[in-house]
Amino acid sequence: MTIDTLKRALKFLLFCLLQALVLNRIQLFNVATPLLYIYFVMTFPLGFPKWAGLLWGFAMGLVIDIFSNTPGLASSSLTLIACIQPYLLQLFLSQETDNGAKPSVRTMGLGKFFTFAITIVFLFCFILFTIEAFNFFNWQHWLGSIVGSTLLTLLFIMAFEMWEK
Amino acid sequence: MENLWQFLTRHFHWLLFLFLEAVSVVMLFSYNDYQASTWISTSNALAGKIYEYQADVEHFFSLTKQNEELTLHNIILEKQIDMLRQKCDSLAGDTTAAQRLEMENLQAFTLIPAKVVSNSIVNADNLITINKGSKDGVKADMGVVCGNGIVGVVYLVSRNYAVIIPALNNRSRISCSIRGTNYFGYLTWTPGDPSVAFIEDVPRHAKFKKGDWIETSGYSSIFPHGISVGKIEKIFNSNDGLSYRLQVRLSTDFSCLRDVCVINDKEMAERMRLREAANDSLMMKTIKQ
Repeated sequence: MTIDTLKRALKFLLFCLLQALVLNRIQLFNVATPLLYIYFVMTFPLGFPKWAGLLWGFAMGLVIDIFSNTPGLASSSLTLIACIQPYLLQLFLSQETDNGAKPSVRTMGLGKFFTFAITIVFLFCFILFTIEAFNFFNWQHWLGSIVGSTLLTLLFIMAFEMWEK
Repeated sequence: MENLWQFLTRHFHWLLFLFLEAVSVVMLFSYNDYQASTWISTSNALAGKIYEYQADVEHFFSLTKQNEELTLHNIILEKQIDMLRQKCDSLAGDTTAAQRLEMENLQAFTLIPAKVVSNSIVNADNLITINKGSKDGVKADMGVVCGNGIVGVVYLVSRNYAVIIPALNNRSRISCSIRGTNYFGYLTWTPGDPSVAFIEDVPRHAKFKKGDWIETSGYSSIFPHGISVGKIEKIFNSNDGLSYRLQVRLSTDFSCLRDVCVINDKEMAERMRLREAANDSLMMKTIKQ
């Protein structure tokens, strides 16, 4: 249990640093930024205690907020995603049993994983950019951000998964 | 009561979720608050430190470019220093320029330093005795100068001492010219003020003004060219009216003379001998005629 926590903490640190130092600088066409930290929340294994997931998600969001100077933005959206992630995972992983089946291409197959990923990432970007904008005055930018960031993040996630395979 | 506890433990994560969301929303809506923003913003020490490390690494990789820029800046600054130094030299006062020129002039000759052991300035024919003689290489008709200007000509030499006819002597005739021009005249002295002498036979078409420096002309074959003599104070007409007579304030202070230098110029001796030979042969020619 502690080994897992340690490994998770290491991944947590890695994702935070990667996002803060590298990925936050990338902004394509002024709308799309890769939000790779969602991958951390996405890959909570099946049966992971919900309160732990919430706490990890909140912590990740907090750190990202510290580095991006947007207090409360990422933490609120990430906590929400961390809350609904188990339920979504159950939807996609319906045949599997319990005990730490991490969602990945290996366990779910490419098609299912891709659908799962796109759902979570799109939901996260939607919530994030809606809260960020908080109005519909500049709806083209808002829409563009959602779509652009979703696609870019997905690109990174799929690349990472393929590399891990 | 137990039901409540059961409810709570079963749906604990929902409560936690609500709580965390509440915290996030509070942060979100209060990020204008000064305390909250400074706590959670990038000025947070941790974020700052990590960004500092990253900046150091980036800075290290850009060092070659910075080196090139610094070298270029150095070259520009050195050029500026050169220009400023030239400007400084051209604006520098007259005294330093004069002393430097004098030292440059004197360095071309062998100098025999000597100390004055006897001096007088109140007589009509004053004489100076120095503590160097023939054993030190002093010979008659050598020029004597000091740091500020000319002193005189060596007249008599014994083994350990020499006697100098200074400029403050009825019999001294030192050829001088006006600095900056080639007009020359003879330095004479009349008994009276020991700091004032006269330049005779300056041509009337010569261009000069009060305050101009007088220096040795180099024609007398005793003194090299360029040693300062004094400054023009007043301009008179000569007795016969054909030339100017300049009153000169001597740059050498004869009343407190202590350290002098005897000029040993071998070339000058050769020139002098050649001139004497020419004079003699001319005299012979006229006699013959």
